[in-house]
Amino acid sequence: MKFYQLSAKLYKHGLVLLLALGLWACDGSSPNNNQGSENTNPDANAETQTGDSTDMAGAEMRPEVITDIIQSIPSPLEVSYLIKEIGTSYHRDALNNSESVDQYTNNYKMALNLGIYSTDLGYANIYDKNQDALNYLNAVKKLADGLRIGEFFDYSTIRKLMQNNGNLDSLLQQTTSNFEKINNELNRQKREYLSILILTGGWLEANYLTTLVYKESKNEKLKEKIGEQKIVLDKILQVLKVYRSKQNFSGFIADMEELKRAYDNVTINIKVGQPKMELIGNEIVMTDTNETVVTITDQDVDKIASLVQSIRDKLIK
Amino acid sequence: MKHLFVLFCALFLVAFASQNAQAQCNAELYTNLALRQLAPGYTFVKSYRIDGKDGQRKKIEYTCVFSKDTNYMLRMAGKDGGARGLVATLYDAKRAQLTSSYYNNKFYDGWTYKCNATGIYYLSFTFQDSQSYCGAAVLGFRR
Repeated sequence: MKFYQLSAKLYKHGLVLLLALGLWACDGSSPNNNQGSENTNPDANAETQTGDSTDMAGAEMRPEVITDIIQSIPSPLEVSYLIKEIGTSYHRDALNNSESVDQYTNNYKMALNLGIYSTDLGYANIYDKNQDALNYLNAVKKLADGLRIGEFFDYSTIRKLMQNNGNLDSLLQQTTSNFEKINNELNRQKREYLSILILTGGWLEANYLTTLVYKESKNEKLKEKIGEQKIVLDKILQVLKVYRSKQNFSGFIADMEELKRAYDNVTINIKVGQPKMELIGNEIVMTDTNETVVTITDQDVDKIASLVQSIRDKLIK
Repeated sequence: MKHLFVLFCALFLVAFASQNAQAQCNAELYTNLALRQLAPGYTFVKSYRIDGKDGQRKKIEYTCVFSKDTNYMLRMAGKDGGARGLVATLYDAKRAQLTSSYYNNKFYDGWTYKCNATGIYYLSFTFQDSQSYCGAAVLGFRR
């Protein structure tokens, strides 16, 4: 080969390789776990307080937007604390039986029931029901192993904390951290569709418990809490719709959309106030004087409760 | 052919080195530090990575759904020590600023937000005079 031919080849191949490597190097910006978004469009995911948002059906969504929505879904612990605060007794029979764990054999059922069991685990912990919590912990571990994310769930530390009757804060902190690790790992593995199923399962179970306790207590705070879920349901649906073509998703989305329709009459309005900031010691304390007013009738609650129960029944069977 | 192979290897190494030249931000370490600062009575619910990628990212933003009649406490820790260099700002759904951890030219470890309006909020992390652009925040709630 003549020198000028070799030079030309080297030049050509080197240029192609440089371009390829350059592109690869520039792609270091793919979102890592739970990294937030560098929001360049402030209204990208803004929505009204009534939870109406752009219908994302079948739409592409940037991975970091999906991650952000998943991250925004509130912890079921908030609802479990509210239920306990109201003074209702522990509803063991209402929870999903931990012995059913072996019947969940596909990823779809495993992820949803991992979410359901995680809510039950938190609920049992808050009520200090150690044996139940241990049973749920075992179920969670089994499902996490089934989904190949068990190594990110520190079973032995949580179990020790339960057995030592350690303080509840440490126990919940450890459990929450572990579920975050699971989510982060699923995000890293590009299996966010499992993350949204886990979170939706957890949310459905918390909503199911809330409606159940409301039926017996008629507590207004719980009624309001049920109405407020319109906002969360809207977020959940945004992400679920991205995975519409995945197995089992379309039927599940249809059920969730029916639940969304049951929320049509629910309104969430804001009475605007002026936020008040204080410096208390070395702590910035901001008191919100805006106030949400949730309008929801007992018929709405009944409709929502019945749909939540029927969706949940399909998932736990 | 041998020259070609050497050239490919060299280019590969250059590209690989540039990928890893960026200092790693071990957010988990700072999450654990921030967790220790949550006041008793607050239940931990979320952690947030604050990785400014050596200053390449100016703002890291997360969406939150906060609930009425709930107090939220945010705590931060970063590589510069405490919450130095990190600013956490909370906005409501209409992007009106509610509170910030940087007040009167001073960095605070976080803030407490007493929420009376359930809805969407935006939690934004920025950097001010940061040396490391790296940290984490945790959120706890109390009813």
